[in-house]
Amino acid sequence: MFSRRTRILLAVLVVASLTFVILDLRGGEGPFATARNVVSNVLGGMERAAATVFSPITGAGSWWSSMRDQANQIDTLTAENQALRTELNVLKNDKARAAALDGLLRVASVGQYRFVPAEVIAIGPAQDFSWTVTVDAGRNDGIEQDMSVINGAGLVGRVLKTTANTATVVLIVDQGSAVGGRVAGTEEIGIAAGTGSQDSLEFELLDPLADIRVGDAIVSFGSKNGRPYAPGLPIGEVVEVKGTSGQLTRVARVQPFADMSQLSVLGVVTKPPREDPRDSVLPRGDDLSVVPSPAPLGGDEAAGDAAVADDTDATPAEPAAPEEETAAVPVESDAP
Amino acid sequence: MIWRQALIIGTAALLAVLIEVTLLSRLGIPGATPDLVVVTVVAVALAMGPVQGAVTGFTAGALLDLAPPGDTLLGINAVVYILIGFITGLAVDPRDRTIPIMMGMTGLATGAAVLLTAGLDTMLGSERVDWEQVPVLALSGALYGVLLAPGVILLVAWVVRKATPEILVS
Repeated sequence: MFSRRTRILLAVLVVASLTFVILDLRGGEGPFATARNVVSNVLGGMERAAATVFSPITGAGSWWSSMRDQANQIDTLTAENQALRTELNVLKNDKARAAALDGLLRVASVGQYRFVPAEVIAIGPAQDFSWTVTVDAGRNDGIEQDMSVINGAGLVGRVLKTTANTATVVLIVDQGSAVGGRVAGTEEIGIAAGTGSQDSLEFELLDPLADIRVGDAIVSFGSKNGRPYAPGLPIGEVVEVKGTSGQLTRVARVQPFADMSQLSVLGVVTKPPREDPRDSVLPRGDDLSVVPSPAPLGGDEAAGDAAVADDTDATPAEPAAPEEETAAVPVESDAP
Repeated sequence: MIWRQALIIGTAALLAVLIEVTLLSRLGIPGATPDLVVVTVVAVALAMGPVQGAVTGFTAGALLDLAPPGDTLLGINAVVYILIGFITGLAVDPRDRTIPIMMGMTGLATGAAVLLTAGLDTMLGSERVDWEQVPVLALSGALYGVLLAPGVILLVAWVVRKATPEILVS
């Protein structure tokens, strides 16, 4: 049916692809991994350039939803408005970035996290089922594998792999992601696992008798040396509790604080705080304003632990003054 | 002029991958990400023929998996796109290449790509595939494919006619 050449070429292509699959399944280091990294590096550089070109279109953040809401207005716009609109988009982009950076600074100054700011430049296609994004900072900016990634609202994910100038972040909602979490206030611990859908996590409590309610906040428990997750980062809020108290495991559905569909400026935590900030970086009230914890920052661990119990209660007693103070604290960043 | 063909295939695959991950997936469109890569593979297959379609499928699939933030098994997309490129090149007779037939073919190809990738991933033990979402992704992917088809197919056909006039798809 086909010529000999066609058949050979097809066979070569299919065998090459299957070889990739097998090598990838096997994993590990080797010439294949090196070659792969080189290609990823080059493509990452191209993505940075492409993202810059497309930034007026994508930078406005909620392009799709704003288009839907303003469909009527857009009908009335004439061709003369085109130039103005492009300019406006660029301004909106800068504003949104400034707001996102403000949010990051607040989280970072309260918990004393050090981070490198980075912008999302590429997102994997939804049909690949992997919740991964690429940011425009990499090894050259001090980013390493397994660092926590945050935005102004809370924990976003961790660094999966890096190239020289880009890093791939796997989001906490990815099916393969699991974060050790703690219920703020009650200290009950559990695992927040991704479900593959952008607005829910499954939080499985280790203690089946634990008390957990809708509205409880979950913060990260923290791992050794803050890798892959630094302690005290806000993860999300309980929206549904499944199963009754005393069942073998209790599972709660948690909605992440960070909106995974609208990620723009992120922060990669290069250095977690020396002490677990406990619940002090959780959003409070409707305005999500963050009030610094009155817990002592000194090295005494016992004092730090004792402060936990009244952490939540003591904070509202502090008036607005510390908030202004926080804003004035210059945040150290590891960026060169 | 094999080098000129290779250049067209390489450029088309690279551009499609870059635009898909840095622009289309960031627009936050509901459902699947508009699969420009598959549409480009189909367009090259229709303009140049099944073999060139298969080569484009391999190149574009491998690039999509290699480009950050690709985190699926390297090679799965390549296998699926080779099949799609080869089959669309064969299936559509050059004499009935009217726009509606090409759009329909692209819709089928983009929908099939989602199903095949999800199926292969599951067979190879990936736990990420959420089969409840697969029908929605396949249908929305097919719809976006149909919408992207005319522009991409005409552009690729025009470039191919200009740059490699020796190609006579049979």
